[in-house]
Amino acid sequence: MEPILQIESLKKYYGKSTNQTKALDGITFQVMPGEFLGIMGSSGSGKSTLLNCIATVIRPTGGSMTMEGMELQSLKGSKLAEYRGKKIGYLFQNFELLDNLTGFENVLLPMSLHNVPEKESKKRLKQLAAYLEITDVLEKFPSQMSGGQKQRIAAARALILNPGIILADEPTGALDSKNAKTLMEKLTGLNRDENAAILMVTHDSNAASYCKRILFIQDGMIFHELRRDVPDESQQDFYARILKVMAQLGGGSANVL
Amino acid sequence: MFFELVFRNSRRDRKENGLFFASLIISIVAFYIILSLSKQDVMIFLQEMESDAVNRLLAMIPVFYGMTLAILFFLIYFASKFQMERRRHEFGMYLMLGMRRRKLFAMLLAEDFRSSIISLLIGLPIAVLLSEIISLVTAKLVGLGIIGHRFTLSLNATLWTTVGFLMIKLAAFLILSGKISRQEIQSLLAETPEGTKRQMPAIIYALALVTGVVFLGAAYYMAISGASWQHLQKMAITLTMGLIGTLLLFFGMRFVMSLMIKVGKSNRKLQVFNFRQLQENVIRQSNTMAVSSLLILAALCCFGAGVAIAQFYGQAEAHVLDYTFEDNTAQDGEQGASNIRNSLANYHLDTEFSDLFDMKVGHIRTTEAYDDVFVMDSITKELAKLPESDARNVLLNNLSYADYPYLISLTGYNVLLQRAGLPTLNLKKDEAAIYMDTEFVTNDRIEILNRILSDRPEAQIDGASLRLTGNVQSTGLVTDRSITLSFALILPDEAFEYYTQNQYDVYVNGVLDSDIINGVSLMTAISEMNKKLDETGLDYESYLQNMGRQLFYIVAASYITIYLAIMFLIIANTVIGVQFLMSQQKTNRRYKTLIRLGATYKTLCQAARKQINWHFGIPTIVAAVSSLFGVRALFSGLLSSRIQGDFSKLMLVSGAMILFLCVIEYLYMTAVKRSSNRYLLTLMVPEREE
Repeated sequence: MEPILQIESLKKYYGKSTNQTKALDGITFQVMPGEFLGIMGSSGSGKSTLLNCIATVIRPTGGSMTMEGMELQSLKGSKLAEYRGKKIGYLFQNFELLDNLTGFENVLLPMSLHNVPEKESKKRLKQLAAYLEITDVLEKFPSQMSGGQKQRIAAARALILNPGIILADEPTGALDSKNAKTLMEKLTGLNRDENAAILMVTHDSNAASYCKRILFIQDGMIFHELRRDVPDESQQDFYARILKVMAQLGGGSANVL
Repeated sequence: MFFELVFRNSRRDRKENGLFFASLIISIVAFYIILSLSKQDVMIFLQEMESDAVNRLLAMIPVFYGMTLAILFFLIYFASKFQMERRRHEFGMYLMLGMRRRKLFAMLLAEDFRSSIISLLIGLPIAVLLSEIISLVTAKLVGLGIIGHRFTLSLNATLWTTVGFLMIKLAAFLILSGKISRQEIQSLLAETPEGTKRQMPAIIYALALVTGVVFLGAAYYMAISGASWQHLQKMAITLTMGLIGTLLLFFGMRFVMSLMIKVGKSNRKLQVFNFRQLQENVIRQSNTMAVSSLLILAALCCFGAGVAIAQFYGQAEAHVLDYTFEDNTAQDGEQGASNIRNSLANYHLDTEFSDLFDMKVGHIRTTEAYDDVFVMDSITKELAKLPESDARNVLLNNLSYADYPYLISLTGYNVLLQRAGLPTLNLKKDEAAIYMDTEFVTNDRIEILNRILSDRPEAQIDGASLRLTGNVQSTGLVTDRSITLSFALILPDEAFEYYTQNQYDVYVNGVLDSDIINGVSLMTAISEMNKKLDETGLDYESYLQNMGRQLFYIVAASYITIYLAIMFLIIANTVIGVQFLMSQQKTNRRYKTLIRLGATYKTLCQAARKQINWHFGIPTIVAAVSSLFGVRALFSGLLSSRIQGDFSKLMLVSGAMILFLCVIEYLYMTAVKRSSNRYLLTLMVPEREE
């Protein structure tokens, strides 16, 4: 099977040579269609930089990123905008809904931006809304919704144009545990039913336990990889394994001064 | 360190917020120009001629100064508010780092003072230069020539400009910093302060909209029908209704907005987003928008009135006479005339005139009665037969009062006609011509009368019958244009002497010799002649004084109204522009989200452009529509019937005004669009958020 996303020795350096920060220092991995991949690491490990590079809001210093045969760094103008809008869906930690638009209008925003006729996506919107349980709040403004509802509206917005991959940046970061659980379950369901690949950056071991594979990043490099043994391994066991790696990552004996 | 920070901050502010800085400079220029009015060439010239009126106008300058102070405060307050809002986060940081509020206050005050001084240093020279240019241009326009223009720096004006500017700047600063200092650090640090958005049921907005339109309609009806001009109270009611109507209209506008979002289902290129942005702005700032719209309306009305008044007074009648002499001390007119001629001859001034002729004007003295001495039933009958029209009705009304007319002797009038290059009148013994000053007639009235006169209708003067003939005459009898006769008869000399019983006034009219005028401007020639005439002790009226009076009206009316118009326009537009940019910066997260969702720079700029168009368009269109009524109302209240009748001209003035407005709006919109594009470009560069 062809990978949907291929990252090859990706580098991102900040600052001049004398005082350089290596946010990403040669990262290589692949995302397969329908894969649910998690990326974990402590603050400043470079995981958000990685996601931003893939979302093409940051230009990497070196390496290459290919999606469906397209070299992302060579994209420009309308191609680039189309990539951002149609090929990827983005889920933010703070939802980033436009607070002066209703839920419905927020979900349809990508279509408005990319001139997609509304009719086509009306059906999809209905399906998504029903699945994400947001049909009742579509006419409301974000200020009238709960955090969980907001994030699910945001999820509908990310999915409306049927992207090949969803980039999620700490999607549970601003949610309580109950809403976080609901969201993760819905994302897992979408991943399973629609075969949409998800690339999720997170701190939260709990959320990460929904993934099929997890990459651990430290100081801009891949430090470890975990694979969930489906269906033999329970989510609970996978969670325990994640915690172990996290413990090493954060306070592993090698790092104690 | 403290001063280093002050220095850096104020320099950054100037660079980043050009609009704010520009509005400071505009304020300074506006202050200086109004204060230096007395130093304008035209004013200095007029002061010699019409010192009374000029002094009265100049005495009004403190009032204009006060007014300027008030409206500029509005401008500065708004621009400073924008400036402060931008820096909320920074202030929060200073406080978090342990800066005491007092220190922060002192720092801001120092920054404010610094930027004020720099604005003054830049603004004052611009103001002086501009005021000189205006002085030269107006002098040139009114034909003064640039006789001995001297560079004038009005110290008084400079002083008061500085004082006024610093005063409103300080006042705005105190209010704004008071507001900021009362806030919690947390809310200062928050990126976008939560605006309270109280949504009311749609029906309330709809009602507000309808009520607003009704109020506005009522106000305009009152103003145009003339009811408002009868009484101060009624005027106050009209103005209040207009104000409330506009406020309600803008308050209710959000109803239209949500309707447009619902109806316009197509959501192409961020249309819904644009409307939601606009709706939010209208909701948050409907009052500011209403006030801006009213300011634009005020500007249009001022401009319209200024242009119309200038045109009215500027309608120069043919220049025929240079001087008119009158001797009020003499027993009778003839005696007076010979006294004048003798005096002129004594001072060897009679040779300076190419023409000195008598204009004899008197009353009917053959009877003691004052009513129905002159009867022209045949004319009124003819008039009454004509189809109903304004001109006919006015004529009927005016002529019904003309039963005791002035009499003018033919010889003097014919000399006048000759000098004016017009055909002279030939009157037989029992014939007379009608004289009506231009002030009281319009072209269509003259046309009607001339048609009737061509039949030589009969009239009775003190019982004797008389044939009225020739065209209606209206050449000015004397130099002074403010002396006008609404209705008079021109009689052959014998008839004139008989009916006046040799009791009449004689005005000696003079035309300067062309040799004297050659080489120098007429103004200079008359000025010099005036000096010589002053020695003779004669009573005289010169063309120059007359010109001066007219000039004064033109200059005073148009200068002040156009000045106010431009001020209002600048302020309204700056406020609208600043408001837009402020809301754009406040909602920068939304734009960032759009970029994440794949909006290109071009798409964002397009969206912003559309928003700007609407943002400026709404208040401007409301003002433009209102101005169509407003200018009409102003004309019906202020101007004489002569101009009022000229409806097409009036529309022309309105049209020109709206065109002018469009140009100004276009300039402002372009400036704001540029600024917005620049800002959006900064958003395109991603920040490192971790």
